[in-house]
Amino acid sequence: MKHAVAFVVALACVALASQPASAYLKLGTRVDTRTVTLQWEELPVRYFVTDAAGGGVTAAQLRDTVADAFATWHAISTADTSSEFVGFTNARPNDDDGLTVIGFENRPDQDRTLGATSFFVDTISGEILEAEIFLNSSFSWSVAASGEANRFDLESIALHEIGHLLGLGHSALGETELRDGGRRVLAAETVMFPVAYSTGTIQGRTLKADDIAGLSDIYPNLDHRRQRGSISGRVTKSGRGVLGAHIVAFNMRTGQLIGGFSLDDDGRFVIGGLEAGPHVLRVEPLDDGDIESFFDLTLNIDTNFSAKFHDRIVVVPRGGGTNNVEIRVEPKNQEP
Amino acid sequence: MNHASGTNLTRFGCRGLAVVAVLWLPAASDAQVWVGGSTPRRGSVEISGGALVTAGQSLPSQAATLTVNPSTGLSSFDLFTSNPSLGPALGAQGTVTVYITRAFAVEGGMQFSRPRLDVELSADAEDAPDITASTTITEYVFSGSLVYHFGTAARTMPFVAAGAGHLRDVHTGNELVETGTEYHGKAGLKMWFADPRRPRRLGLRMEAGLSVRNGGFNFDDDERRMAPTGAVSLLYLF
Repeated sequence: MKHAVAFVVALACVALASQPASAYLKLGTRVDTRTVTLQWEELPVRYFVTDAAGGGVTAAQLRDTVADAFATWHAISTADTSSEFVGFTNARPNDDDGLTVIGFENRPDQDRTLGATSFFVDTISGEILEAEIFLNSSFSWSVAASGEANRFDLESIALHEIGHLLGLGHSALGETELRDGGRRVLAAETVMFPVAYSTGTIQGRTLKADDIAGLSDIYPNLDHRRQRGSISGRVTKSGRGVLGAHIVAFNMRTGQLIGGFSLDDDGRFVIGGLEAGPHVLRVEPLDDGDIESFFDLTLNIDTNFSAKFHDRIVVVPRGGGTNNVEIRVEPKNQEP
Repeated sequence: MNHASGTNLTRFGCRGLAVVAVLWLPAASDAQVWVGGSTPRRGSVEISGGALVTAGQSLPSQAATLTVNPSTGLSSFDLFTSNPSLGPALGAQGTVTVYITRAFAVEGGMQFSRPRLDVELSADAEDAPDITASTTITEYVFSGSLVYHFGTAARTMPFVAAGAGHLRDVHTGNELVETGTEYHGKAGLKMWFADPRRPRRLGLRMEAGLSVRNGGFNFDDDERRMAPTGAVSLLYLF
C-alpha cells in the first residue's frame, strides 16, 4: 500500500515572540474532512545526534542532554513512550535521509529561533516516519546543572523540541509582555509554550500537568485510561461555535492547569488527562497575534471575545468524561 | 454412623436452645420489671427521623499559579484566584438506638444532605469578570455512636453521643463518588410526649454537635473539614 508522505510542520521555540496566554495541543494532519493525530507507531524512537559542537556545547554533551530530555518525557507514569540513541552521524537535521537527527546548525539569519522540529509523516495514518530537531548554534548554550548567565539552557529547549518530536504542538498556557519588539515570557505552566524562558534559568526542564496530559493523550497507558478523565463541550458566541478558543481546566484540589482548544467550527473542545474531581473552566481568545504558532493560518480563528469563567463547576469522573459543557462568550464589541 | 451423628446433632441442638434461653431470660425478666415510668431500659429499641442542618464550611483558597520567568523579577504570577466554600444544607437523618443499659445505648444512623459548592473566581490576569461557579454535592453519612443518657427516669432526657461513620460524597450526576471517614460528637435532649407510663411512646429529639470529616470531598487532602450540625427528630420507643 502506498502512503502519501509529506514534510509537514516546522515548530520553533523562540527566544522572543508574539504570544498570549494558556494548553496542550496535539499535532495533526488533515485527511479529507478529519484530522489525524501525529504519533510514532513504532517505538522506541530511534534517533541520531549530529557529531558537531555548537554554541559552546560539545557533541557528547548534546547527546547526554538529549538523552536526559527524552528520559524526562519517558518518565511520565501515564504514558508509554521510549527512545534509543543509535549513534553520532555526519548528517544534518533537515536532511531528507530517512534518519531522525538532532543537532546544531548555525542559523544567524533566524535570530529569534532557538530550535525547531520538523517531520516526515504518513498523511493517511498520521504516523511519524522521521523527525528532525535543529538547535541554533548562533546562540550561546549551557549544560550546567543550574544554568549559566547569558546562555540558554540546552536541556529546557531540547525538552520542548522533543515534545514536538513526540507529537505535541504548542501550548498557550503562559503569559507574556511586549519587550524589544517581541514578547517576553512573564510566566508559563508548560514546557510547550512557544516562547522560551530567558537565559540563565532551568525552569524549562520540569514538565507540567499540561505537558503530561498532552503526551498521555497521545500515548495513553492503562493507568491513564482508568484514572484520568476528560471534559468536552462547546464554546459558543451568539449561538455559533467559536474556533480556536483556548479553554483551561483548573483543578482546585491540586492546583493543576490543563488546557485545550476548540478545534472546529462548532466550537467543540476536549480536554483530557484530568484528575478526577471538581474543575473550574476558563476560556480566552488567542488575541495577541502569532496564531500560526498554534493553528494553520487558513483557519478562521475567532479572537473577538473576552476571557470568561464558566459559571458551573465541572466534575471529572475517573476513567470517563463529562460531556456537553457549553461555555457562552460575548463579542468584545457588545460588552458594556 | 449416620444414626450416631443424628443423635449428636440432636444433643447439640438441645444445648444450643438452652444457651439461647439463658441469654433471653434476663431480657424477658427486665421486661417484667416496672422501673417507675416507661423509661428506656436495657434492650429497648428507639427509632427517630427528622430534619438535619449542617453549617457552611469555608474551604482552602487556591490560586491558578504559573511558573514565573526569573528574569522578570516577579515573585509569583497568578492567572486567577479561587475561594471555595460549601454552603449550609438542610437534610434528613434517621437513627436506630438500642439501649445496653438504662443510660448507655448504641446508635446507628444515616444522614443525607445536599450542600452547594460555590467557588468565587476573581483577580483574573486578563480581566475575566469575577464570578461564582457552583455545583451541588449529595452527602451521605452512615454512622455508629455510643450514647449516654442523663436522668433516665425523667420525661426530658439529656444525652451526649460520640462516634464515627462512613462518608460518601456523590457529585451531581453521579459522575464521581468520594468516600471518607466522619467523626462526631453531639449533645441533645429527648423529650417524651404524653403519658409517661405507656410502654411505647413518642417523643422529640433535639441535638447539636460537631462533625469532622476526613476524606470524601475536599480540596485539601491533609485537612479535615469541620461542620457544626443540628437536628430535630421525632422519636419512637418500642
